[in-house]
Amino acid sequence: MKKIPIKFTINGQQREALVQPNDLLINLLRDELYLTGTKYGCGIGECGACTVFLDDELVLACLILAVTVDGKEITTIEGLARGKELHPMQISFLKNAAVQCGFCTPGMIMTAISLMKENPDPSEEEIREYMRGNICRCTGYTQIIKAIKEYAHSMKG
Amino acid sequence: MLKKINKFEYFAPSTLAEVISLLAEYKGKAKLYAGGTDVLVQMKQRKITPEYIIDIKKIPELNGITYSPEGELTIGALVTHGQFAISKNVPEKFTMLKEASLAVGSVQTRNRGTIVGNICTSSPAADTPPALLALDAGLKLVSSTGERTVKINDFFTGPFKNILKDTEIITEILIPGLPENSGGVYLWHSKITEEDETLVGVGIVLTVDNLENRVCTNLRIGLGSVAPTPMRAVKAEDFLKGKIVDEETIKQTAEIAANESLPRSRAEYRKEMVKVQTKRALSQALKRIER
Ligand code: FES
Ligand code: FES
Repeated sequence: MKKIPIKFTINGQQREALVQPNDLLINLLRDELYLTGTKYGCGIGECGACTVFLDDELVLACLILAVTVDGKEITTIEGLARGKELHPMQISFLKNAAVQCGFCTPGMIMTAISLMKENPDPSEEEIREYMRGNICRCTGYTQIIKAIKEYAHSMKG
Repeated sequence: MLKKINKFEYFAPSTLAEVISLLAEYKGKAKLYAGGTDVLVQMKQRKITPEYIIDIKKIPELNGITYSPEGELTIGALVTHGQFAISKNVPEKFTMLKEASLAVGSVQTRNRGTIVGNICTSSPAADTPPALLALDAGLKLVSSTGERTVKINDFFTGPFKNILKDTEIITEILIPGLPENSGGVYLWHSKITEEDETLVGVGIVLTVDNLENRVCTNLRIGLGSVAPTPMRAVKAEDFLKGKIVDEETIKQTAEIAANESLPRSRAEYRKEMVKVQTKRALSQALKRIER
């Protein structure tokens, strides 16, 4: 099958790629661009490990055809840090031991950042509801919720 | 789960005319693609292996939510659950459909998945169909040979089955205006697993003559997850029509609804939940009329 040329912005950089119609965004990110921060978990939209921003909207990279990101802007976990300085949400996750094996963490952080944009001062219930699509097998969520709360609190300043 | 999906040829037409001519040409071999949240999952599970994918995201006329002066609400095929839930074009009386949209999946899937896509998949557990049944929604089906409008009540034929022909596309959902003194509510109850599938969903639109008498002049109850397809609880509806809506008649209506539901698994529990949720939804609907 003929490859299709696409152009997009990834973490602020313009890129071009040749993709097959049946390539998924997750394949493009991990196998072509070697951005392996975004994880491949269930592959069917149930775990949230592959969560990224597509034109500022929180989406699952495992359920998007790569051809359809032509002309769009993607932000992955690799795009959060400013040089050597981590994003404050990343710092809050580290400080609160919200990371164990780390497999869910990139997705969790993307979703947490999206929540902060929509609702900067969420209740615990609102955090849990918003994070419903991100599964963690290690932490039991308590520290993740705490990390998000603490971040929200520090932003209120 | 497989990392790859089957090979196919990809089209991204910019007009509806192109879509329906592609559908006519490739018949059952083509699949429409909008949000991808259902289609790609089905492809990964090898439930479907389309040879052609028709991406409809670039067709502006399929976008948009409009509210007409006659009180009718139109929802285009590309409107996602997320877009609908925060839309300012939706008057308050249709809040129940926002409630149902928010019950779907997670933020991530709501941002991509469309209400029309949800209808096309025809899962018995889907959240928007019970609300749309209660709202008596119509669906506009278009093919190269013409168009027809069907009521959503006549659309579903079995689990993941419906009357849509493989040459047709649903272009929009049409929700008729509500009479005065109407109130609508959607309530759902989920099992807490990673899929968070809805265990029982109840959508209700209640109309009364006026707030003094509170005689039920119309009622539609849509139920989800308790039968092979989303269903209307017609017997319960008929029971309440013409009666004064009070605690006792609400209780009886809820019992009838529970009895006519047809859950296959965990039947006893689900029937009980239909009763509880229908009762709650009816009293909340009444409160919304009073507001
Ligand atoms: S890998 Fe995408 S949701 Fe699990
Ligand atoms: S830290 Fe291991 S899955 Fe969340």
